[in-house]
Amino acid sequence: MATTTLAPRAATYRQRSWLYEWLTTTDHKKIGALYITTAFLFFLLGGVFALLIRTELAVPGIQLIDPETYNQLFTIHGTTMIFLFVMPMMTGLANYIVPLQIGAADMAFPRINALSYWMVPLGGILLFSGYAVGGAANAGWTGYAPLSAQGGAGLDLWLMSLVLLGMSSVLGAINFLATIFKMRAPGLTLMRMPMFVWNTLVTSVLLLFAVPVLTAGLMMLFIDRNYGGGFFDPALGGNPILWQHVFWFFGHPEVYILILPAFGIVTEILPVFSRKPLFGYKAFVFATASIGALGFSVWAHHMFTTGAVFLPFFSFFTFLIAVPTGIKFFNWLATMWRGQLRLDTPMLYAIGFIALFLIGGLDGAFLAVVPFDFHVQDTYWVVSHLHYVLVAGSVFGIFAGLFYWFPKMTGRMLDERLGKFQWLLLFVGTNLAFFPQHLLGLDGMIRRIVDYNNNPGWTEWNFLSTIGAFMIAVSVLPFLWNVFVTLRQPKTAPDDPWDGNTLEWATTSPPPPYNFDALPPVRSERPLFDLKHGAVAAHAVALPAQRGETHDETRADAPEEVLGEPIEGHEPQVAAGEETPQVSEAAPDALPHEERPRTEPKK
Amino acid sequence: MPLVGLRKRVRWLSASSLVTAAVAVAAIAAACAGQGTGVTGDQPPGLFPVEPASEQAQYIFDFYPVIFWIAVGVFFLVEGLLLWIVFRYRRQATDVDLPSQTHGNNLLEVLWTLIPAAIVAVLFVFTVDTLGKVERTADSTDQPDLIVDVTGFQWQWTFDYPLQELSFTGSGNTGPVMAVPVNETVRIRLHATDVIHSFYVPQFLYKKDVVPGRVNEFDVVVREPGVYAGQCAEFCGLLHADMHFTVEAMTRSDFDAWVTQNQQAEPSLPPPPSDATTVQLTAISIAEGFEPTELAIPADSPWVVELTNADTVAPHDFGVRGATPEGDWRGDPDAQPGGSATYQPPPLAAGTYEFFCTIHPNMVGTLQAGQ
Amino acid sequence: MTADSQLVQVAHVEEDSHAGHPQQGVNTALLGMLLFIGSEVMFFAGLFAAYFNARASALSLGQPWPPEGLGHIIEPGLIPIVATIILVLSSGSMQWALWRIRKGDRTGMNRALGVTLLMGIVFLGMQAYDYYELLVHYGFGINSGIYGTLFYTMTGFHGAHVFGGVIGIAIILLRGVAGQFSARHHVAVEAVSAYWHFVDIVWIGLFFTLYFLK
Repeated sequence: MATTTLAPRAATYRQRSWLYEWLTTTDHKKIGALYITTAFLFFLLGGVFALLIRTELAVPGIQLIDPETYNQLFTIHGTTMIFLFVMPMMTGLANYIVPLQIGAADMAFPRINALSYWMVPLGGILLFSGYAVGGAANAGWTGYAPLSAQGGAGLDLWLMSLVLLGMSSVLGAINFLATIFKMRAPGLTLMRMPMFVWNTLVTSVLLLFAVPVLTAGLMMLFIDRNYGGGFFDPALGGNPILWQHVFWFFGHPEVYILILPAFGIVTEILPVFSRKPLFGYKAFVFATASIGALGFSVWAHHMFTTGAVFLPFFSFFTFLIAVPTGIKFFNWLATMWRGQLRLDTPMLYAIGFIALFLIGGLDGAFLAVVPFDFHVQDTYWVVSHLHYVLVAGSVFGIFAGLFYWFPKMTGRMLDERLGKFQWLLLFVGTNLAFFPQHLLGLDGMIRRIVDYNNNPGWTEWNFLSTIGAFMIAVSVLPFLWNVFVTLRQPKTAPDDPWDGNTLEWATTSPPPPYNFDALPPVRSERPLFDLKHGAVAAHAVALPAQRGETHDETRADAPEEVLGEPIEGHEPQVAAGEETPQVSEAAPDALPHEERPRTEPKK
Repeated sequence: MPLVGLRKRVRWLSASSLVTAAVAVAAIAAACAGQGTGVTGDQPPGLFPVEPASEQAQYIFDFYPVIFWIAVGVFFLVEGLLLWIVFRYRRQATDVDLPSQTHGNNLLEVLWTLIPAAIVAVLFVFTVDTLGKVERTADSTDQPDLIVDVTGFQWQWTFDYPLQELSFTGSGNTGPVMAVPVNETVRIRLHATDVIHSFYVPQFLYKKDVVPGRVNEFDVVVREPGVYAGQCAEFCGLLHADMHFTVEAMTRSDFDAWVTQNQQAEPSLPPPPSDATTVQLTAISIAEGFEPTELAIPADSPWVVELTNADTVAPHDFGVRGATPEGDWRGDPDAQPGGSATYQPPPLAAGTYEFFCTIHPNMVGTLQAGQ
Repeated sequence: MTADSQLVQVAHVEEDSHAGHPQQGVNTALLGMLLFIGSEVMFFAGLFAAYFNARASALSLGQPWPPEGLGHIIEPGLIPIVATIILVLSSGSMQWALWRIRKGDRTGMNRALGVTLLMGIVFLGMQAYDYYELLVHYGFGINSGIYGTLFYTMTGFHGAHVFGGVIGIAIILLRGVAGQFSARHHVAVEAVSAYWHFVDIVWIGLFFTLYFLK
């Protein structure tokens, strides 16, 4: 058995001081925890900025925030939420979970992993240090030139912070791709990977190809601002529209970077809490890849009103991208159809995600109608759309993932009542805050303004939206209390509290530093399900092979005789919680390494 | 998972669904109450755009219900399915065995790929068609009935009528007024001198960006006389929120009268008394303000300001806060870049005042009247 | 062999093949470098996009490109051509170094790396001299309108990447002289070589675009 050989190893682990350990760790689990915590702090900070914005906008007239401060507020709010909250949070969850889900001991490049993390708080400090030098950036998170060529040092700091955070993301993307391609457990072919891993893969490809374009643009802006460059200055032969092309070529893949991990989380949760496999796994993979690819073809739909883009092309591809997204929705519904739903908090967030991301997605379809976009571009319609997809989308996905994987990461179960209470507040608050903004946009209320005229109905809807924003803020309190109270409990969570399907549940909660004592055999996309529900698993194993499943050549495949048959000696004699399989010699790959029959000379 | 809390879960779900339904109903009721006649109408906002005031806007307004009702249909279909699923397929006490482990269904998957694809294809065709109608007029070789050159700059608008030789620059946050005849093609040409702005009139359901180094243009045919509010819609810096303007559509005869009235020479200012104090002032730029920033004049005496505009991009003018019983005194006309203007503010009682540029109110200075 | 090293095989990255087991697919560290190169390609793509956008804008408005008065400044004269030849040759010597170490010839590799390093430094020197000529003789700088901005930005960032490559070559040369590479363990040389070829290819694109296509 594994334990006898591993125990001495565990006993020789040098104990380092808590601070030194956390500052110098290269363990993906600790780095993941650092990412998640840092990102959550920025979520709170960005949220405070949002509350200030919504407080000012509750009624017409300027009450407490002057125009310059307001412009800085929404710039920093957007930049913080995107680059310091959602992206690091998704990276943190992926950092923790992806190696576990593929049965690896760590990421491919652990030290680069640590470097990637530490660039995040540094980037945050750079961004906010604008306040110490006369004013933070104030040109919007999109930093359109020539406006962004004006302004003081705060804008240079914004720019540098984004270059640094971009580098962090690219290094992370390289790490995830190398890990996913090279470090999967035996039997874990690409078409058996968990959906969260697939979404991380596509997100990483998007990051790899999109972020450097942003970096190029930021360099161009820096040169214009500081060295008399003429990229965006018409007086020097430059073109302001160039900035928008370069920015949105990054910016549009960026929004998929922000949402695909949430798709992945939701797609993990639905099968587990419906007790059914994901409906249409292959279609899901192709839909994800299509969204990633198409995401590079639609950038100029942010520029319809510039008069400088070929409108039909971008309208077409924007409409087209609705198709793979729609496929996902139907696959999600079909996964739940005729299932046995357990409505625990992770599932509530996943369902809430489906219910509300739909609205954000439909908003986007409206925007593909170019003449309609002429009316609502730069109005609160767009603000409503982006907040539905980001709050009802990414944030719901994030909370779903946090509640789902909290037991695995900390060894404790979050309180369900507090979780549901938070969910209710967040669900109602999100709709209150952002649905009225559709109406305001249709009525012509533009965005990025500190004040608005007292037009009929505008005050009422703005006021309601502010109430919703405060409701969202209040919803964070039960979550914080939940985490605080739960972390004081002893680590009693089982290995597999949710009756999960994937490999992260095949080890303790939390996992040991090396992740796995032994890996179960991987014969489908639900290795743990197969392990637990053997008789049914035989049927489940047969199906993927019959559907012409492709196999990845870089990994040794299971011997042919194992596919399509029940694994000998692998009937469900496992009690709940026992992971070690009793396997026969017919399937040597299923054994932990140290127990395999020796067939070749050792080195 | 324990089945004991099932009822509780059902209660939570019911509560949240009811709340959502209530919000949705309220929103739809509000929407049906009024479809929003926008910024100058008297209807609150609704789920439909503002009442269209131009020919081009009408095309967009007519197309909107197509996409709206498709979206509503999809919304109720998906949400309905979701609610059904959540209530019908909750785990029961009797659910011990696993449900049927369906991995997929090729026919269903093909259908729900092709049907949405067909829907978006149709929407795309309609989009291109509507777009052609809205933008077509701008590409036609017919001469427009009126040309207006719009210049947007931080943070004000100038409307130039090249053929009528008229020019209006706005002041404060109400901005200038663009008079246009109804039912005639007005070509609006957009010029920017500093950063990107956007010319947006909600009731035209239309905006176009105002980009430095590029002249965008579009045609509009306004159908009803009226006053239509407009605003800069591309974030352009400090006073973006104040960059308003108005389009006033009137009958052709009223328009001609308006043109004639404005073309008449402005009555010249009576020459200042010979003992008037002359103050020299230079406007440097929006960011750098005036030079000097402190002026001194004798109290209760006539005085004159000779403003030189050293700015290369923006016009400036002169105003004094609290100089009249009604409030601020605002000078006319503006000094164009590289040009100059003379102002005759009223005599001021002893005290300290703030002077400012009415177009760029961040440009300020202190005026000391008397000792 | 203890159970520990069996675990190593499960959990750790294999730098090169152990125990005669054939490597499956691209080496992980090399994969990381190739992905990084992919991202850098996109960085330069952004800069090239700026160039072609400016050029197309000017030409579509009937304006000359290069802009008025600047057409004769960026010419494929002696210095740029010699610099290009040197960089291309350095890619050759880099590849030679890689072939040598794959055969286990450490000395051959070190010599070839030394030649590559030298050529890389000479390229940078020639680039710096070219900049000097342009700035002092023509007064042509990064602030000489969009054309100047583009020229210096693109060649400047390329030069920075060459500099990074020179550092990399220096490091593997030092490691090579210290005897750290063998026929089976030299992934750092593979990685630096890939990066150096990338730098060379970008230069060929730049050279063609800036000096010939114009």
